Amino acid sequence: MLNTTLRRHAPFWLSLIAGIALWEIAGRSTSAAFMVPFSATLVKLWQLIQTREFLNQLLDSAILFSTGFVLALAVGMPVGMLLARVRVLRVGTEPYIMVLYATPMVALIPFILSIMGFGFVPKVLVVFLFAVFPVLYNTVEGARSIKPELIEVAKSYRSSEWALWREVMLPYTLPYAMTGVRQAIGRALVGMIAAEFFLSSTGLGQLIMTASQNFDTGGVYASILLIGLIGVALMRLGLKIEQHFARWRQ
Amino acid sequence: MSGQSIGVASPVVAPRKAKAASGRLADTYLPRVITGVVILLAWEFIVRAFAPAYVAKPSTIVLAIPRVIVDPAFLKATGATLLAVAEGLGVTLVFGTVIGVVMGRSLSFDRAIRHYINGFNAIPMIIVLPLFSLWFGYSANTRIATIIFAAIFAIIMNVADGARTVPREYLEVARSFRATRLSTLFGLVLPASMPYLLAGIRLAAGRALIGAVVAEFFLSIGGVGYYILLNSRTYHHNEAFVGVLLLAGFGVGFELLVNWCTRYFMPWYRRGQS
Repeated sequence: MLNTTLRRHAPFWLSLIAGIALWEIAGRSTSAAFMVPFSATLVKLWQLIQTREFLNQLLDSAILFSTGFVLALAVGMPVGMLLARVRVLRVGTEPYIMVLYATPMVALIPFILSIMGFGFVPKVLVVFLFAVFPVLYNTVEGARSIKPELIEVAKSYRSSEWALWREVMLPYTLPYAMTGVRQAIGRALVGMIAAEFFLSSTGLGQLIMTASQNFDTGGVYASILLIGLIGVALMRLGLKIEQHFARWRQ
Repeated sequence: MSGQSIGVASPVVAPRKAKAASGRLADTYLPRVITGVVILLAWEFIVRAFAPAYVAKPSTIVLAIPRVIVDPAFLKATGATLLAVAEGLGVTLVFGTVIGVVMGRSLSFDRAIRHYINGFNAIPMIIVLPLFSLWFGYSANTRIATIIFAAIFAIIMNVADGARTVPREYLEVARSFRATRLSTLFGLVLPASMPYLLAGIRLAAGRALIGAVVAEFFLSIGGVGYYILLNSRTYHHNEAFVGVLLLAGFGVGFELLVNWCTRYFMPWYRRGQS
C-alpha cells in the first residue's frame, strides 16, 4: 500500500525538487542579468504581491479577461447553436469560420490599435477575438451532431422552438461547447497579455513589461512564475468544467 | 468480440446522402458565395460610411494585392517568417516526438515531467518574450526560440497520448514474435501514434505562426508580422491587410494539408467528420 503510493508520487516530487534545484544552481552560477535563482524569485514575488500597485494590476487584468471572455461566450454559444439549427446559415458560414479560426488573430492587433486607439474597448475586442472562435466552432460541431431523431421526437410532441432549444439543443451541445470554453480560456489569456503588451500597457502585461524595461530580471521571473501559475489554475478550472459536462455525453 | 480498440471520441454524424452535382451546387456553394458577398459588401459599406479613408476595405485591398506581392520588402518578409516557422517546426517535431514517445511508453518518466509539460503548455506563450529577448537578444534567434516554445508542448502532449493508447493486443503480438524494442518502436508505436502526431502538428503550426508574428511585433525584426505592424502604423492598412491574408492562407493551407495527409496516409483512421 505504502509502496504503491510511494511509487506513484515519488517521480512527481523528485522531479519537482530536481527542477527547483536546477533552477537554483543555474541561477547562482550565471549572471544575475540572465537568470535569477528560484529562492530570489520567490522573495521578489513575495515583495511584489504586497504592493498596492500589484493589486490594481491584477484587478485590471481580471476585468479585461472576464469581460472579453464572457462576451465571447455570450456571442459564440447562441450563434453556434443558431448556425447548427439553420442549415443554410451553417453551410454558408462554415468556410469563413474555419478561416477565421485558423487565422492568427494577433495579426489584427496593429489595425485595432490604429483604428480604435488605446482605450479599454479595443483590448476587450482583442480578448474577444482570441476567445470567440473556439467557442463558436465547437458549439457548431456539437450542435450539428444532435441526432435528427431527437429533434423529430420533440417536433412530433409539438414542442415549441424555444422548448426545443432549452430541452434538447442546449443540454446536448453543452459538453461540446465546454471543450471550446476550455480552449477559449487559454486563448483569452494569450489575448489578454497580447493586448496588454501591444495596446496600452496595463495589468499583468505591464508588470512584466516594466520589469523587463528596468532590467529587473528578478521581476521578470517573478511575474512569469505568477502568470504561469494563474494560467495553470485557469486551465485546471477549464478542464474540471469540461469533465463535469462531459458526463452528459452518452 | 472483446477486443475494443481505443479511439478518439467522435460525435455521431448522420451519414450524408450522395447528392447529384446540381443539388450540391444549390445546397452548398450558393449559400457560401452569397454569405461571402454579403460579408464583403457589409464590410465595404460600413468602412465607407463610418471609418476614415485609410481603413482597409475589400475594394482597396484587392487593388493593393498586385502591388504588394511584387514588393521585394514583402517577399523578403514572407521568406523570413516562413523560414523561421519551418525551422522552428522542424526542431519542434524532432524533439517533441522523441519526448512524447518516451512519455507515452514510460510511466515513471510521464509522472516525472507531465506537470512541467502541462504547466508550460498553460503559460500564455507571449509572456516569455521579455525573458527570451534577454537571453537571445533582439534577433531572429529569439523568434525561433519563441516559435519552438509556442509549438513544442502541443506536439509532446499529443504524441504522448498517441503512444500511450497503442492497443495492448498489438504490443502483445509484437512481443510474442520477439520484436526488438527498436522495431516495436518504429513498426508499431510510431505508426500507431501518427494520427495524434498529425493532430499535434496542426495545433503546433497555428501556434508557431502566432509565436512568429508576436515575436516580430515585440522584437521589431523583419517578417510578415513586422511588415503588418510597420504598414499599419504608417496608415497603409490595405498593404498591411495583404499580410494578414497571407497569414490566414498559411493557417488554412496547413490545416488542409494535415487533413489531406490524414486521409491519404492513414485511411484506416477516421475522425468523426467526413
